Parts: sequence; structure tokens; C-alpha cells
Amino acid sequence: MTLLDWTILVLRVALPALILPAIVTPLVWVERRVAAFIQDRPGPNRVGPFGLLQSPADILKLFMKEEVVPTSVDRLLFFLAPGLAVFAALSTFAVIPYGSSITIHGEEVPLIGANVSIGLLYVFAITSISVYAIVLAGWSSNNKFSLMGGIRSSAQIISYELAMTSAAAGVILAAGSFRLNDVVGMQAGTWLGFVPRWNVLVQPLGFLIFFVSAFAETNRLPFDLPEAEAELVAGYHTEYSAMHFGSYFLAEYINVIVASAMTTTLYFGGWSLPGFHPSGILGAVASIAIFAAKTAFFVLIFIWVRWTLPRFRYDQLMTLGWKTLLPLSLVNLFWAAAIEMWRMGAGH
Amino acid sequence: MFEVFAAVAIVFAALMVLSRNPVRSVLSLVVAFFALAGCYVLLFSPFIAVIQVIVYAGAILVLFLFVLMLLNVGPERPEKTGRPIQTLLSGIAIVLFAGFLLSTLRHSGSAAPRALAGEPNVLGRPEALARELFSGYLLHFEAVSILLLSALVGAFVLARRDREPRG
Repeated sequence: MTLLDWTILVLRVALPALILPAIVTPLVWVERRVAAFIQDRPGPNRVGPFGLLQSPADILKLFMKEEVVPTSVDRLLFFLAPGLAVFAALSTFAVIPYGSSITIHGEEVPLIGANVSIGLLYVFAITSISVYAIVLAGWSSNNKFSLMGGIRSSAQIISYELAMTSAAAGVILAAGSFRLNDVVGMQAGTWLGFVPRWNVLVQPLGFLIFFVSAFAETNRLPFDLPEAEAELVAGYHTEYSAMHFGSYFLAEYINVIVASAMTTTLYFGGWSLPGFHPSGILGAVASIAIFAAKTAFFVLIFIWVRWTLPRFRYDQLMTLGWKTLLPLSLVNLFWAAAIEMWRMGAGH
Repeated sequence: MFEVFAAVAIVFAALMVLSRNPVRSVLSLVVAFFALAGCYVLLFSPFIAVIQVIVYAGAILVLFLFVLMLLNVGPERPEKTGRPIQTLLSGIAIVLFAGFLLSTLRHSGSAAPRALAGEPNVLGRPEALARELFSGYLLHFEAVSILLLSALVGAFVLARRDREPRG
């Protein structure tokens, strides 16, 4: 490998990892302003124009604050857990294609961290690490509220992972590949000249299950039971302060972005758009912009839902996951298989 | 690289056994499984590696951790050493097993990973694996799923048995 190859590799891997945390800062501001709009109040509008500097100020505060560590914590795991949360959140993005491709010295470089054949499975594997970040925080804090949060989260994430994986299996069945670039590729083009070939139109049920499960996997309202402040103080991160608390905050927002990007990729054509054929640097930039716009749309829905729906009760959460979403995801899988059979039959 | 992952797997597997704290034991096993996944990737089998992480680290060990935390199991107390004959027998077993392992390794040589890497690897590609599994090994596959189902039903029956009947 030449120096150029190495540079390209490092940039492909490092850029998303650097950009994601940078997006979180304005995203927190967006969340608070949208929340304020929904609740009919002004929201943060004092620091800088439109209050835009509120988030940077808050982050500075998190870095400068004194770290208070309770005496009875398991120190190794207590400090390992927040790092694990951020690591898991950031590394998921590695297999999501965020743009078409650019040509450097006659070599086509796809805009994706790692174009691996097991893309979607890798995402689910990393999701399973993020469970440990929360469970360990709950256990190592030696606090009953933290422990309750950790236990709740492990049960919740495992339960919804089943429905989520089964829903995504429908897409994999249709694409015939775990590679997320192939999933984007199969959604290019149109039916009847104007209807985009997005998976959401073929498997609307699968999309619904995937998106609802994504709320549970990211611990967002209405499924934020691991940190339900009315019952558990702050759940699994009760004992964390300063930037270690900030790490969980950061991981949650990155997870929201990643879940939105996954929804975009699996069900809404990723960076592609009907009638759009990217070429050259401009085309690549346009494809990134398309991807970013679609992802931003779902991030906004995440925020919208958070300030609209109240929190579920724990038994309701479990009933929804096991008795509604899981059977429905199997129905979706049969539907996807039937469509695929019909398509193969029509091809002959 | 393979040696690094293998060493990490062995060290953490040993830590799993030696650790007094059950939660630390589970976590050591998680690290060992990840190292093992790294070994699989280097053997050109990313599919097996990812499935290994999803199934073992992601599902089974999380459930272990869940139960440990729910029961709030404290650190184990060191047991009093049993009769000297036990120590002697376990010592002999360890020596025998180590000898057996070494002789097997010497016969097959360390070339095993390289030979695997050269082959058109069936386990590496999901499509090929699925084709094998659902054609040549279909009966075995279905038999295993029925075995798992019966285990599930068995666990359910055992868990329900000592509960009083309603009404």
C-alpha cells in the first residue's frame, strides 16, 4: 500500500468518527429549540445568535466540572463503561454508506468506512456491545437506582433487538446481501417512472417495526425506562458526573443519528434519489447531502416523538415488544419472502 | 496478529476462571469471545466472527450478566482445599491434557490456519454457508432447532412447576 492508499483509508475511517461528535453539538441545540417550540416557550436563546452557542458552553462546562466518584464503585468498570458507550456508538457508522463514490488517481473509492460483506450483521454485533456500556454503568455504580436502570436496559435492548433484526432480515432477503451498499443499490431507480424503488413502499410494516425498535434500542422516549427520572433518579448514569456523564449524553445522540442513518439506508434508498446519477466530485458531494438530508429528517422525527408521547410502563414496553412487534416482524418476513418468490417467478 | 488475538483470548479465558467476582468472570469471557472473533476474521470468516459476537457476547452473556445482577451475587469465598488426592488427580489431568494438546498440535503443525485461508472458504461467505446449511445439512439443522425448542419448553415447565395452580 502506498502513502496515498493509507491516507484514503484513514480519512474514510476517521472522518465519520470526527464529524459525528461535531454534529451532536448543534443537534442538542435543535432538540432543545424544537422541544421549546412544541411546549410553546422560547427555549435557549441567550448565548450567541438564536442561542446557538448554548451547546458549546454546556460542553465546556461538562469538561470543566469537578468529577465526583462515589467511594464504593468498581473503579475499573465504572470508568470503562462510558468509553465503551461512545466507542460502540461511533463504530456502528463504519459500515453505513454515506455517499456514492469518488475517483482518486483512477481508483474508485466508495464513500463508506468499510465496505464489508457482513455490513448489517456488524451493526447488530456492535449494538450488542452498547448493552454492556449501560449494564456495566448500572452495576459498577453500586447504587440501586443505577442497577435497576442497567437491568431494565439489558432486558429492553435484548427484547427489541429480536424484532429489529427480524424486520431488517426482510430487507436483507430482498437485497440478497448483507452489504449495505448493495441495499442502497437495489433501491435505485423507479417503478412506473416516478415511484422510487424504496424498501419502505414494499415493506411498510418492516419499516414501522424497525423504526419503533430503534427508539427502544437508543433508550429514547417513549422507551427511556433505563433512565426514567420519575422512578430511578437518572437510571444507569445516576452516579456519573462531568464528562463521564457527558459521554453517555454524547453516545445517546450519536445513536440517534446512527439509527436514523440506518433507517435511511435500509428503507429510504440511502444516498440515492430517483433520477440522480452522481458523477465526479460534485455528484459525490450531492449524494452526501441527500444522505444527510434524509438522516436529518428522521432525527427530527426522533425529537418530535420525544416531546409528544409520554413514557410507557415497563409491562407495556415488554408486551409491545414480544407480543406485537415480534409476531408482526415475522409476518413482514413472510411478506418479503412471498414478494421475492413472485419476483423470481416473474423473471423466468 | 493472529497470535495477539489468540494470546488475548487465552489470557482472558484464564481470568474468567481465576476471577473471584462473578461479574468480572463474565466480562473476561466477553473479551475472550471478542478476541476469538478477531481470530475468525483473520481466518477469512467474518460471518462466523460476527455471529459469534451477536450470539455469545450479545445475547447469552448479557443474559448471564442480567441474572447475576438480578440475584446480586457477591464475590466467591475461596473454598477450603479438599482432600490431597483431589489436588493430585487434577494435577495429573492437567498434565495429561496439556501433553495431548501439544502432541496434536505437533502432528497437525501450526499450518492449519494457513491451509484454511487458501481454500475457497465456505464458512466465510453467508450465501455459501446458507446453501450448505439448507441443502446438505437441512435435516441436522431442523433437528437442532427442535432440540432447542424442547430445551426451551423444558426450562419453562421446570420454572412453572413449583408455582401453585390458580383458582
